[in-house]
Amino acid sequence: MDLVRDVLDKRLVDREDCEMGRVDGLVMELGERSQPRITHIEIGGNALWARLHPVVTRLAAKLARKWGPKRAAPVRIPWSRVITAGREIKLDVEAKETGAIDWEIWIARHIIERIPSGGHEEEE
Amino acid sequence: MKKFLQIALGIVTSVGGFLEIGSVTTAAQGGASFGYKLLWAILLGTICLIFLVEMSGRFSAVSKHTIVDATRERFGFPFFSIVLLGMVLVAFLVLVAELGGIGLSLQLLTGIGFRWWAIPVSFAVWLVVWKGTFGLIENGVSLLGLVTISFVVAALKLHPDWHGVARGLLPSLEGDQKAKYGFIAVSILGASISPYLMYFYSSGAIEDKWDVTYIPINRIIAVLGMSFGGLLSMAVLAAAALTFGPNGADITTFDKAAQIMTSALPRWGLFLFAVSMLVACLGAALEISLAISYFFAQGFGWNWGESIGPSRVARFSLTYTIIILLAAIPLVLGIDPIKVTMISMALTAATLPLAIVPFLFLMNDPIYLGDHRNGWISNSVVAIIILISFVLAVISIPLQLIGG
Repeated sequence: MDLVRDVLDKRLVDREDCEMGRVDGLVMELGERSQPRITHIEIGGNALWARLHPVVTRLAAKLARKWGPKRAAPVRIPWSRVITAGREIKLDVEAKETGAIDWEIWIARHIIERIPSGGHEEEE
Repeated sequence: MKKFLQIALGIVTSVGGFLEIGSVTTAAQGGASFGYKLLWAILLGTICLIFLVEMSGRFSAVSKHTIVDATRERFGFPFFSIVLLGMVLVAFLVLVAELGGIGLSLQLLTGIGFRWWAIPVSFAVWLVVWKGTFGLIENGVSLLGLVTISFVVAALKLHPDWHGVARGLLPSLEGDQKAKYGFIAVSILGASISPYLMYFYSSGAIEDKWDVTYIPINRIIAVLGMSFGGLLSMAVLAAAALTFGPNGADITTFDKAAQIMTSALPRWGLFLFAVSMLVACLGAALEISLAISYFFAQGFGWNWGESIGPSRVARFSLTYTIIILLAAIPLVLGIDPIKVTMISMALTAATLPLAIVPFLFLMNDPIYLGDHRNGWISNSVVAIIILISFVLAVISIPLQLIGG
């Protein structure tokens, strides 16, 4: 598997096929004796902005402190949760519980549902 | 039978959706300033658009990816963010122009200035996207857009000189006023080859769940739909040439542009022009708002879909809500929609390589398209036309800005 071609920037979906972002970063473990191996997939936040420029990262962090869902750690999904990696990468998780769609839920609750006929994020 | 209906609907909607403030203003300006001489720019733009639309549909039908999706995946986030920034800025300007076009049409119909229409018009556009479904926007508005065929009636009633028309289809250089000639040619090319149309079309192919069996249908729709659409633009140019004569006036207002219709149809002309522009700009405004939201949602991996309730695609819905709101501001402040149109069309032409070059790489990638990759003809036709548009844009935009 070619990490950059087949994994990085691919779409991520949970076991219910709910979109949960893209592979914005990969976490690798380097042991002294063992081979390097990929341990986690990183989603959103710093992992993404750091690929552009440090200034963008600082700006995004500043905005995130004022707005949106509060979250201290970046979203990391263990590599062992990968079910399939093809057109998209399917993960054996529930999107809501990972924190990957915190923003989606926050915007739905705080903005969209307050607009008439915006509906409710929970309903099917 | 079902497929036949789909083809018919596809063609009809692409004809109805072809004209918008960009194509009408640039074609009318071209005809009024240089007679039939700029017809070649519409021909070239339309040929390029036929290839691009065919490719967009084929890409999504075969790879099950939208163009944006694949651009992020294949080229990575840093490059993607440059394309995103460029495309969204230009598309935003075009959205301002289209909302302004709706306002100007209402001004023609009611006499109330377009600035007063900015807020109600933006609200109406937002409401259609918020409440409507993809089918409604794709088919409903485009069907109404068939009223733009009245431009063909107007052109025919003015009895064009067919020899002049034929000569105009071949590129020629203008003796004096080279900067203006080049600038209008670039704007016409930018108005014909709209990248947002590709993003919209490829997202539509995914929303409508196209597969490989749609390739022939897609080809027919692209060729016939875009050719008829191009004919409409040519009719606008010819009608303007006949109304104003060579070296005629600059088209700076909608009242002036409406003369191309009233000179042929004195009784109904003004009304037909206003309604045609209203529907055409409305359709384009809806498509662009959606295209911008698709761009963000697909690029960042958000849930998206026009036919899903807004709260279940919250970030997607928030994006078009903000974009439409922002686009109303310059209009409320009184910016001239026609000026915005000319500038945004030229900028579209200048930024075409940013959208098209990565797309051509994708169209030749066996990972996505397997045996359905581009052949050398599609590659060269599109590459050459994009190169011509880009060179013309780089030369003529600064000249036009210096010359005022």
